Amino acid sequence: MTPGPARSARARRKALAAMEAETGLVHRKWWIPYLFLAPGLLMVALFSLWPFVNTVVLSLTDAQILRGGTFVGFDNYTRAFADPDFWTAAGNSVLYLVVVVPCLVLLPLALAVLVRAKVPGIGFFRSAFYTPVIASAVVVGLIWQWVLRSDGLVNTVFLRLSIVSEPIPFLTDSAMLLVSAMIVTVWKGLGYYMVFYLAALGNVSPSLHEAAALDGAGPVRRFFSITVPQVKPMMLLVGTLSAISALRVFTEIYILGGESGGPGGGARTLPFLIRQVGLGFSGETGYASALSILLFLLTLVFSLLGRRLSKGDER
Amino acid sequence: MTRSNATRTAVATLVAGTFLSVSACGLGGSGAADVREGRKTGEVLGEITFRTLQLKPKFTAYVQGVIDAFEKKYPGAKVRWEDVPGDGYNEKLVADAQAGALPDVVNLSTDSFQLLGDRGLLADVAGLDPEVAKEYVPGAWEQFKLPGKGQGVYAYPWYVTPEILTYNRELFEKSGLDPAQPPTTVEQFFDYADKIAAASGGRYSAFMADPKGRLPGDWQKMGVPILNGTQDRFVFDTPKAVEWVERMKDLYAKGAMPKESLLKSDDINQLYGGGKLVFGPGSPGFVKDIKQNAPQIYAGTRVAGAVTGKLGHIGIYAQSLGIKKDTKHLDAATEFAKWVTNGPNQVEFSKNATIYPSNAQGLADPRFADRGDGTDAETVARAVGAQQLATAALDANTPVQWTNQVGDAVVREMQKAIQGEQDPKTAVHKAQEAANQLLAKSART
Repeated sequence: MTPGPARSARARRKALAAMEAETGLVHRKWWIPYLFLAPGLLMVALFSLWPFVNTVVLSLTDAQILRGGTFVGFDNYTRAFADPDFWTAAGNSVLYLVVVVPCLVLLPLALAVLVRAKVPGIGFFRSAFYTPVIASAVVVGLIWQWVLRSDGLVNTVFLRLSIVSEPIPFLTDSAMLLVSAMIVTVWKGLGYYMVFYLAALGNVSPSLHEAAALDGAGPVRRFFSITVPQVKPMMLLVGTLSAISALRVFTEIYILGGESGGPGGGARTLPFLIRQVGLGFSGETGYASALSILLFLLTLVFSLLGRRLSKGDER
Repeated sequence: MTRSNATRTAVATLVAGTFLSVSACGLGGSGAADVREGRKTGEVLGEITFRTLQLKPKFTAYVQGVIDAFEKKYPGAKVRWEDVPGDGYNEKLVADAQAGALPDVVNLSTDSFQLLGDRGLLADVAGLDPEVAKEYVPGAWEQFKLPGKGQGVYAYPWYVTPEILTYNRELFEKSGLDPAQPPTTVEQFFDYADKIAAASGGRYSAFMADPKGRLPGDWQKMGVPILNGTQDRFVFDTPKAVEWVERMKDLYAKGAMPKESLLKSDDINQLYGGGKLVFGPGSPGFVKDIKQNAPQIYAGTRVAGAVTGKLGHIGIYAQSLGIKKDTKHLDAATEFAKWVTNGPNQVEFSKNATIYPSNAQGLADPRFADRGDGTDAETVARAVGAQQLATAALDANTPVQWTNQVGDAVVREMQKAIQGEQDPKTAVHKAQEAANQLLAKSART
């Protein structure tokens, strides 16, 4: 029972002593648990909360790399909304998310179902599918550059087979570059999320499949009626995680499309734009911070959406 | 409110208050506020810190030798050397400058020098010792003056890498060009590229398309003014600049440049080393790389003076040694910087690396006049580079106002035009508008 404001301190101490005698537990000060939490909280505060608060403060200033700024209110935000580069980058980020997330939710699930099969040598395929995850982003980028450049593997094959008459500009056209980067992201994420699904599939009771099979359900029907509902919570988690990483995509575009972010910067995503604005000796820390906050809000919206979907599912 | 609730509220308020006040520190870190100048005492004493850019482990022996000799000459002085990798060098400088923790003697590139100098973090070395100017090549010495800061010079010039022209003789001949007649103007360079594209049949290209590597240099060489007289507005929107874009667009469409090179995602060394590019990078260091990695291509590599066009000379890009303005040991720091950049030490350095001395006495060393029999690209590159340096001048430099942001904005418009997404005239116009907006913004702040 919570002590009421009218209750005297003396009566409260008496009640606590009685409770201690009754339960054998010693009542401590309210802040004792916080003392144990303090080291962890301090780290979070120092390396996550403080930089975040600092970014919010900086986003309201015209600070530059080597010069503290002055308070400019919401000018940086107004500037962002009037900046065509911001809209291009935000559009690309959202497009990236819309295309990549469904692929990363569904394809690894299909892959996980396939590699669960008990056939000889399946371990090799599991490892092979996981290899891109441990490969460095730069190596992955270089491999795909060789595959996709105008005189690369794909174009050479297509030209030899007369499928195309001109090389497809995978890397030199903004839209194609974005698609190429999406392919790389999906390819790299397949193995990672496949492991998530393998864990989830391990929890699906085989008896459900056996019962359905006895009732005459085929593999496809069993997949949609048993596997999918059983791993749905994992699908939501994968969806949320891949949405967050899709909004943070930078490396794939940088390696495939160079430091300008595609021709004319047309394939830049929000993190790419933030880096361009904030980096270098003339970097605009204030504006870059405002863009970071906008990216944070965008991520928050999609995270909340994922949460809402998962709650709806629970109900 | 109960006492415990009051305590919790107080703690929460304290934490929030601490956050906000600490966060507000982000506003105050100007890094350059009221830096007091160090004072000369006439005695070379004390421990100084010396930071270099990526010289370990390749040049450890050389640098340590220079330090040891200095400490032997001045027993009261001690040098603590720290070497920082290239990646993140500037970021570290920024962080140190913000914290007031710059080293006493620091290796600076052109852009980091300008930034730190502009913010008053570097000592005026000409003011400290006016006689020292004659030790250095004039173009190099002049480079370390700052616009609007009079005759002050804010760093000692160190090693220099001049611009040269390298090309594949065999591909030159295959394209119907005379290897003895390399291009000397940007327009001629484009004419040559046109012939190369016509002859190559897609097997090789002439040069890299990336506008970032060509601007504003190409425009300066074509006589395009970059800034107005008062240096506060970009004025490159001229018919000549439009002509440059038109030529680039035309050549790109004809295959004179590798398609992906427009985005700088191609490796020029790899393309040239693989015999797929006629013009190689314009740096003597590259010639050495090719010698090691592609000996066959090296054998057919020719070296000539850089394309200089209407300017008639190259720009100068020197590494430098800046002195922290508020160093506690000004005498030791300046003497050490002069020691590192003196003639004999720079010549010795050039024997270990493909660099050139900014020191007049060093550059006069016979080693830099020797062309050998005129067939070895590395030897010829050394002589050509040194010859170009003697007449190098500041006006061919990227102006301070052409910041990374300005460069990126211009490059984006150029890329669109070269790919045919917008017409050249619009591209140059939009590029100038964007550049001026950025310039006005930086002037306001």
